Amino acid sequence: MVKKVAFKTLGCRLNQFETDALATDFYNAGYKIVPFTEKADAYIINTCTVTNTSDHKSKYTISQAIRRNAGSVVVVTGCMVNNQKELLEQRGDITYVVENNRKSSLFSLVDAHFKGEILHPSDLKQSLFDFTVAEKGFHTRSMIKIQDGCNNFCTYCIVPMVRGRASSRPVEDVLQNIRQVVSFGYKEVVLTGVNISRYEYQDTGFEDLIEKILELEGDFRVRISSIEPEGFGDKFIKLFAHPKMCPHLHLCLQSGSDRVLMQMRRQYNLHQYLNLIEGFRSNYPDFNFTTDIIVGFPGETDEDFNQTCKVVKEVGFSHVHTFKYSVRKGTRAERMPGHLPEKIKHERSQIIRDIAEENKLHYRQSLVGKQQTVLIEKVQKGFARGYGEHYVPVKISGEMPKNTFNTVTIKGLSDESDPQLIGQKTSKSAS
Amino acid sequence: MKKNQAAKYSLLKPNIKSLSPVSDLMPLPVYRLHEIRDLTPTSYIMRFDRNNMEFKAGQHITLGLPGNNQLREYSIYSTEHDPYLEVLIKEVEKGMVSKSLHKCRLGDFLSVDGPFGFFTLDENNLGKKNLFIGTGTGIAPFHSMAGSYPALDYSILHGVRTTDETYESSFYPTERYISCTSRDDKGKFKGRVTDYIRKNPVGSETIVYLCGNVEMIYEVYDILVSQHFPVDQIKTEVYF
Repeated sequence: MVKKVAFKTLGCRLNQFETDALATDFYNAGYKIVPFTEKADAYIINTCTVTNTSDHKSKYTISQAIRRNAGSVVVVTGCMVNNQKELLEQRGDITYVVENNRKSSLFSLVDAHFKGEILHPSDLKQSLFDFTVAEKGFHTRSMIKIQDGCNNFCTYCIVPMVRGRASSRPVEDVLQNIRQVVSFGYKEVVLTGVNISRYEYQDTGFEDLIEKILELEGDFRVRISSIEPEGFGDKFIKLFAHPKMCPHLHLCLQSGSDRVLMQMRRQYNLHQYLNLIEGFRSNYPDFNFTTDIIVGFPGETDEDFNQTCKVVKEVGFSHVHTFKYSVRKGTRAERMPGHLPEKIKHERSQIIRDIAEENKLHYRQSLVGKQQTVLIEKVQKGFARGYGEHYVPVKISGEMPKNTFNTVTIKGLSDESDPQLIGQKTSKSAS
Repeated sequence: MKKNQAAKYSLLKPNIKSLSPVSDLMPLPVYRLHEIRDLTPTSYIMRFDRNNMEFKAGQHITLGLPGNNQLREYSIYSTEHDPYLEVLIKEVEKGMVSKSLHKCRLGDFLSVDGPFGFFTLDENNLGKKNLFIGTGTGIAPFHSMAGSYPALDYSILHGVRTTDETYESSFYPTERYISCTSRDDKGKFKGRVTDYIRKNPVGSETIVYLCGNVEMIYEVYDILVSQHFPVDQIKTEVYF
């Protein structure tokens, strides 16, 4: 009887990439991939621990899996494992607890289990990059892991402790990964990692790597996932003139106050950050910026917060991922004075969200009358949906083949709660 | 390392490669303590094994006692060429780690991780004039930079309360080291580093490195901006 396996991913795109690769391992071996809400023989939970909320969600998801099918194999992996391994192992209701650096071999553990062989997770091979190329992923876009770990040690961040030190994937591996996914039919690749702008493999830096990727043949476009505003210069900006590059960056700001940025030990100040934005916008006026903001960092004053609000408005981020600061054990910020009450964090978070909503609407309206090249992801009820190159959702009336590029003119915004761009096809599918 | 020894070395560029990730929550490697050099009753230098650690002057490590998860960050005080590692530590009132480390005995083992950080000399600007501004133990990375690159054109502004806290200032050529003392008048300059740069504007061709507490860095930054100093030529390392 075919075994069923269900996956749940929490947190970042890097986790998504890794889950996709794991799902491919199971699929290729004849397992049936089922939604996480269904009864399965094995549940794989790829956790996140970046905030308290992530921890809560991860724990809740584990409990859901355990309740859903008593006796199923429950495997917990991801960053919460590296942060709370002993606690998770002590629970007794989790079958296997697998650390990040052994995640890529997780299939062999579960497969052995079903064949009557019990392995210990510590016997699994260690590798950060040895993930199967995802042929049957959960997404239209193919994520490409180019890097793992971080050496920045921002004072609030637990990632260097759970993902380890910065390590870059060999150039040829990255290129080969992209060649393969393009040959599978993927039309968009998303470069992902923990701190991708610090990519450095031998003499190849981040900008050099992108240059090599853009030289690859094939009908695909390149998107950069979340990136820190450091480690690149004008060359990076110029690379976006290439037709394969998507004009969107999730450029992490965290705070608009230099004093807070210093306390966070970020590697830039506001002036440098805004210079980067200006560098892009002067070359590509429609360039889409989204960002992360942490509110309620220890010692953040009203003035600091107001500066953040001002910057968020001025830059016009079309989406802001707002985090309420939460203590991560062992980080420098844990020992800082001036921790703020939840109430203040909540209020500030709401203010940023409100500004971000206005920004989003404003940005989307600015695209009306312009063209977008949409990669179709879904066709439903007479509408095709997908994302344009600026990473804004577009809804198009009519049937269009999935996974094709379509050039559309933006005619307006839909009246949904999250307004989509309304596109009208202006040319035949490009592929 | 003494000045005459440092002069023997040329501008060596260490080959820093990506570090291996932490595996399996393994305990950190241990380093044997060789020397504790008291500079004041509450500040001291610890010298311990280098264990072939490659680092760039200006980077920091985390240091603590084996078996204890409490690690603290310290800039490397020794030079890129020394066969050992040194850090400069000031005991923190009610601090858990800085006081425990001071009680270590020679031969004891320490937990060390790193190196970390990007507060390093810009290799493209090594020929330019550098101004190092540090307060208290914030002089540590500059000690490493000055010792590692003896041909470097630099000046150090060291902000301390009294001249007792000028920490091995004889290491630097007299003309390169300016102590700014806020609570006695025995330094080269009576006042804070911020007072000094207000009175002595920084030339726009200089590369400025700031190391110390947030408030000092913030204030110096504002002063430099008011002097129309190019902010892209400022590098900072915050001490907490």
